[in-house]
Order: sequence, then structure tokens, then C-alpha cells
Amino acid sequence: MAAAKWRNVFSLASQFCAKRFIYQPRILTAVQRLQTTDTTVKEVRPTVRQSHPLVKKQLAEFGQYVAECMPKYIQKVHVANGDELDIMICPDGVIPVLTFLKDHHNAQFLSLADIAGLDVPTRQYRFEIVYNLLSLQYNSRIRVRTYTDELTPIDSLCDVFMGANWYEREIWDMYGVFFANHPDLRRILTDYGFEGHPQRRDFPLTGYVEVRYDDEVKRVVVEPLEMTQEFRKFEYSSPWESFPAYRQLAATEEVPIGEETEKK
Amino acid sequence: MAAYLKKTTGLTGLAVAKHPQQTLKVVYEKILRTLQKMPQDTAYRQHTEQIVKGRLHMVSTESDMMKVEEKLKCGQIEEVILQAQRELSLSRKMLEWKAWEPLMAEAPKNQWKWPI
Repeated sequence: MAAAKWRNVFSLASQFCAKRFIYQPRILTAVQRLQTTDTTVKEVRPTVRQSHPLVKKQLAEFGQYVAECMPKYIQKVHVANGDELDIMICPDGVIPVLTFLKDHHNAQFLSLADIAGLDVPTRQYRFEIVYNLLSLQYNSRIRVRTYTDELTPIDSLCDVFMGANWYEREIWDMYGVFFANHPDLRRILTDYGFEGHPQRRDFPLTGYVEVRYDDEVKRVVVEPLEMTQEFRKFEYSSPWESFPAYRQLAATEEVPIGEETEKK
Repeated sequence: MAAYLKKTTGLTGLAVAKHPQQTLKVVYEKILRTLQKMPQDTAYRQHTEQIVKGRLHMVSTESDMMKVEEKLKCGQIEEVILQAQRELSLSRKMLEWKAWEPLMAEAPKNQWKWPI
């Protein structure tokens, strides 16, 4: 009886030893894996974006395909952040390119996820309009970007995507970009009687007017803004470069289109 | 199986097509006719002709639409009809836009440069 017990203990011990013995080489392989120069190693650090070469290649090829089909409108194609396809078009190509992306068999971007605006006052055409599309058929997304300024109208997308209506109103409200042939172009987010376009970079952070309840006239009154203290400007920029590593890093990778592809 | 036994597509607003094969053939032929009006070497024409001819061949050789659905892997046959109709309207618009012409306007310098 006792002997049997001892035998059990021994067998347990030997199993334990065996397990430890197996563990050791596993650690060794992990070390070897870390030291390899092979680039196909999967990125495991949580703060570093993973790269998917296959996805990037597919996106680049699709970008070339679109540029090949519509050479009249597409100025540039690039893959941003490894897995986002951006197509830059001239402002007249908004309806043709987006209709193509919606209706073509190989694209089928039937869902308009969002339209966004961007203001860079130093550029000749200061506003950028960004269309985000989603293809449920192929489970992929695409971004179409174009440009305009304060006076040049952009064709409204409402005839192609019904959902563009409010997005365009939002951009009109925030940036003051005019959309031609929009069925109902008016403010959507700001208050009644609001003047100006708050997302423009030259719109002051404080706004132009302030609102308060006036006890004498028994209603809310709108008055020009009065600062209780003089506007102070703070110098936030540090003499040191905070993220020098990311300055040189190109987040976007351009895809050659048109004649450039033929040269290759 | 002569009778088409499908009761519903299961998709809101999308009715079961009564004669899918016939409809598809008509639409595909219309697309091909529109494409023939474009210049021969246009990328859009070549790619679309390839897709549409492949589908037309599949639809006309196979009478069982369930099998066509499986082969195409583009959803149900009603969805395939919708795709074809969209392609038809697109091809007609492409003819109007002449989208195969060279780039109409170059972007101003540094328009797409980021960071500025």
C-alpha cells in the first residue's frame, strides 16, 4: 500500500520534471524568435501598428484599377497608415467618381459612411472635402478626397447618395462650402441667427457673441463678446522636438497611377 | 426543377424575381451594347466587358438560378439583377462623362502634401 503511494509520488515528480524539461526549450525558441531579422514576424507590441503587406497590396491594386477606369478625374492615389485607401480627385469629378464606386461591379461602395471637411488656410484651395465609403459586399472601405475654396461650389452628392443631404448641410454650416444643386442647403448644427462658420481656422475660439439672461427685459439677450481680461497668448511650443521619430516617418505610401504604372 | 421554388429573398423591399434568367440576359446585353460605343482600349470598357461576358455566359448556360448564385458568390439572384442594373446606368453615364479622357485638371502644388 505504502509502496504504491510512493510510486505515485515518484511518477508525479517525474511528470513534473518532464514538464519543466519541455518548458525550457520553448523559452529558448522564443528568444531565438525575438532575435531574428525576419520581417514577417507578427507585431505583438500593442503600441505599434501592425502592417499587413497583403492588405496593402490589394488596396494599392484596387486604387490603380479605379485610376485606370477614371483617368479623367483621379489625381493621386495613396495607401495611408498601411490599410486605408485614399483617392484624390479634382472637384469636378465628385459625382462621376463616387457614382463609379457605387455602381461598378467590382466596387459596390453602396454605403456613404460620412462626409468630412478640412481647413488648411495656407493652401490655394483651403478646404478639403473627404468622402468615406463602405462596401458591404466586399467588406472594405475607401476614402475619396477633393478640394475647394470659399467661393467655388462643389457638386452635391444628394442625387447619388440620399444620405449625403445632412452631411453636406453640416459642412456648409461648419466650413461654408457651397454645394451646388443641393435640395435643402441650410444650417444644421448652429443656433438660430448664428453668423460665421465655426470650424474655419480663422474663427475665434470664443466666438463673436455671448448670450445671457437679462433681468430687466426678461429675456435672453445676445451681445457682442466682452472679455473680462485681455486676451493672452501662451507659448506652448517646446524648444525640443517632442516626437522626432514620427516627423520623418511617412504615414502614406503613394500608389503609381497612369503613365507611372506603364513605366514600371 | 422547372418551377422556381423561392418564396422570399429575406431582404426588405426586394421581391423574388419572376424570370431572373431572362431579365439578366436582357440587362447584360444592354450593358454590352452601351460599352461598344466606347473606344476599344478604354480600361473601363475592357474590365466591364470581361465581367459582364463572364456572367452572361454563366447565366445563359445554367438554367438553375440557385447554382448560378452559388457560382457567382454575389448574393442572391435578385441582388445580382440589381448590380447589373446599376452597372447599366453607370455605363450610360460613363459614355456621357467620357471618363477615359486624360486628367482634366492637375492639383495645385502642395495641395495633397501633408504635413504642410
